[in-house]
Amino acid sequence: MVIKSSRRQFVKRSAAAVAGAFVLPQIIPSSVFGMGGRIAPSDRIVIGSIGTGSQGMSNMRDFLKLKDAVQFVAVCDVDAKHLAIAKETVDLANKNSDCRTYGDYRDFLEKEKLDAVSLALPDHWHGIIYTEAANRKLNIYGEKPICRTIHDGQTIVNAVKKNNIIWQTGSWQRSEPNFHRGAELAINGRVGKISYIEAGLPDGGRGIGTPPVKEIPPELNWEMWLGPALKVPYRGVCHWDWRWILDYSGGQLTDWAGHHIDIANWGAGLEHTGPVEISGKGVYPFDGIFNVPVEYDIRCKYENGIEMRVANASRLPLGMGTTWHGDLGWIHVDRGGIISASDPKILQEVIGENEIHLYKSDNHWQNFVDCVRSGKQAIAPVDVAYRAISVALLGEIAMTTGQTIKWDPDREEIIGNPVASRLLSRPYRQPWNLPTI
Amino acid sequence: MKNRYLFILIAGLLTFFTACKNETAYKTLIITGQNNHNWKASSPILKQILDETGLFSCEIMTTPEKGGDMNKFNPDFSRYKLVVIDYNGDSWSDKTKAEFVDYVKNGGGLVIYHAADNSFPDWKEYNEMTGLGGWGDRNEKNGPYVYYKHNVLVTDTTPGPGGSHGKRREFLVRTRMPDHPVMKGLPANWLHGTDELYSQLRGPAKNLQILATAFADSTAGGGTMRDEPVLMTIAYGKGRIFHTTMGHADEGGGPSMQCAGFITTLQRGAEWAVTGNVTQAVPWDFPSAAGVVLRPDFKEITLDEAFAKIGNYDISKSTKYLSCIQSHIRGLAGDEAGLLKMEKNMVKVLTDKSATADSKKLILRELSWMGSDYCIPAIKELVQNAELKDEADYALSRLQTK
Repeated sequence: MVIKSSRRQFVKRSAAAVAGAFVLPQIIPSSVFGMGGRIAPSDRIVIGSIGTGSQGMSNMRDFLKLKDAVQFVAVCDVDAKHLAIAKETVDLANKNSDCRTYGDYRDFLEKEKLDAVSLALPDHWHGIIYTEAANRKLNIYGEKPICRTIHDGQTIVNAVKKNNIIWQTGSWQRSEPNFHRGAELAINGRVGKISYIEAGLPDGGRGIGTPPVKEIPPELNWEMWLGPALKVPYRGVCHWDWRWILDYSGGQLTDWAGHHIDIANWGAGLEHTGPVEISGKGVYPFDGIFNVPVEYDIRCKYENGIEMRVANASRLPLGMGTTWHGDLGWIHVDRGGIISASDPKILQEVIGENEIHLYKSDNHWQNFVDCVRSGKQAIAPVDVAYRAISVALLGEIAMTTGQTIKWDPDREEIIGNPVASRLLSRPYRQPWNLPTI
Repeated sequence: MKNRYLFILIAGLLTFFTACKNETAYKTLIITGQNNHNWKASSPILKQILDETGLFSCEIMTTPEKGGDMNKFNPDFSRYKLVVIDYNGDSWSDKTKAEFVDYVKNGGGLVIYHAADNSFPDWKEYNEMTGLGGWGDRNEKNGPYVYYKHNVLVTDTTPGPGGSHGKRREFLVRTRMPDHPVMKGLPANWLHGTDELYSQLRGPAKNLQILATAFADSTAGGGTMRDEPVLMTIAYGKGRIFHTTMGHADEGGGPSMQCAGFITTLQRGAEWAVTGNVTQAVPWDFPSAAGVVLRPDFKEITLDEAFAKIGNYDISKSTKYLSCIQSHIRGLAGDEAGLLKMEKNMVKVLTDKSATADSKKLILRELSWMGSDYCIPAIKELVQNAELKDEADYALSRLQTK
């Protein structure tokens, strides 16, 4: 039994107070909660991190910038060096030495009394830890892609919904003005009826062959890092580079699905559905432990006739980013504030009062904190994240099997292909299992 | 007696079909004999690479030595569908030059290989066939530099010498015309084996298409910081010309000629030069941006070879045989009979007592999704094996999920 702190009770009360606003237009001024002014320490969101590698630290720094609004109290990592840096960072921000450290997420979840948790782990761990954190009714800032398999994703979505927690995916492009503007123009028909979308994600890079087996560094709990993945000897490949190995990631394709596919869905009204037909071709390395496709070219058809192509940027005329094509032209968005269109006039268009106004946030981490306080849905909800990554995961299945996959986006099942359906989930190495919800 | 006639009939038919095969292969002439490069190494390799496809039947013809009597070099071009130039030397006789021009103009196929674009700086028609060339005192009078800069095709008439290259190195080849028959189905980017990256080529550049470029990075051993053309096509009269700047030959070919990317693009480019089409499938081992792929014997690893070697190969050092099997599984695209045949070969690895645990682990991962009931007994056996238990459980769990 977890005893809730007074801070959590505050959050819960706030959430209850605005529960009715959930389905209404989702703009609730933060001033309602007095956020313009200084927040009393007792009203801060108490937060901790599991996973303090590069992305975990990046998120932590973004949360620490909101210093009035959050109170970081604990960090957890299987690498003691990461953990020490994380603690140092938190302690420096808090001007004390109180940040608690954990090497095992189970202890962290059991002992810490938090309002929210920031999760940034290798993808093969998402299913277990996201579900477990949701079951403990922690509000979650979770890194994309939210899952390594479709089945993991379905479990996470159900856990988040059933536990009625606030969820923010690390799909931060949604909180950038150019992506918001591009999506809003697209969804309001400024390129006409959308017929075709391109999502250009990064090209894969050079492999490293198969390095020799090495001694596990004393700071690293390799067994725990592997967790539910099949046991392999340590070859010096762990942090960051896990994303080039299929056991833990699908490569750039799945790493970036939560960005440019997510944005594509946002501007085309496909956030709550999936494709009905997926085909794809990958270019796989000849040799070495990095075995994710370095190139990929995936074509999806949606029930409403829209087609989406997801490919490594070198294959696409406009390269990286999302491009919505309609009968009146196209709009392209990419990082670095890029927004362009077939006709520059499209970009001058004003969105009328009665048109669709997409959720607006100008700080992804602040938006999460605000929503934890308000109980409002965050800008990057869990089911939307699941729909973005499922395009990439179905593309991965099409590439692996060499087949065109038929998908029922309502029942969330592959149609008429039991062999391909096996790739919707992945057995966990014992003793690890997905938690029940 | 009857059997004897049957035997003679079969032998006769076999001879006939073998002859037919040779007859239908495109007769190809490789011209060499003078070069500032190791033509004695490169020409036989070019022949092997082209003959390997079954599409070409190559003869190598050498010119007289440098300073020799070029009147003695009189090939009958009309006998060939394709000419491959591995030559950089003395001028040919006017008669031979005229016949060569006629051959190409009238639709003969031509491949310009590496230093062949250094040759004949003063022969106007030849330079029109190569499109771009280098060295031999080439300069602005020979035509513009042509390259890509920031993804824009540039025709640059700045005065200056033609032809340069930085230090030999591996470089990334980028497809520029993915829909051209030669390039169709190839990756957008692939790493080429250590080679010279020809740069600052200049020439008439008429009817020139750039199929692929490579970035001459000055920080990687000298370069122009431009994307330099490495694969090109040129139309000359009715003739089709494929020009590859790659393949600088060391003894035995070296990484530049052993590169599966060099070999494949040469084979495809040569076919295109003859017919305007490419019927060859992209080989499973075509390189990617992930790394260079060398074929020491200029041949692709076959599936049979992969199955023969995967069991006793130390898979922890290389995964290429598994990559071969995976690639063929993808190619079957759900064909049940083909997958079952594959599965039977995979089960043989599982039941082979001498096969390494690593190879069995990798096979079990694949079987976990594409196996049928056939493989289950063999996998169940392996559950007893402490080293393989996790992978066997993994496979069984997935195969038995309803």
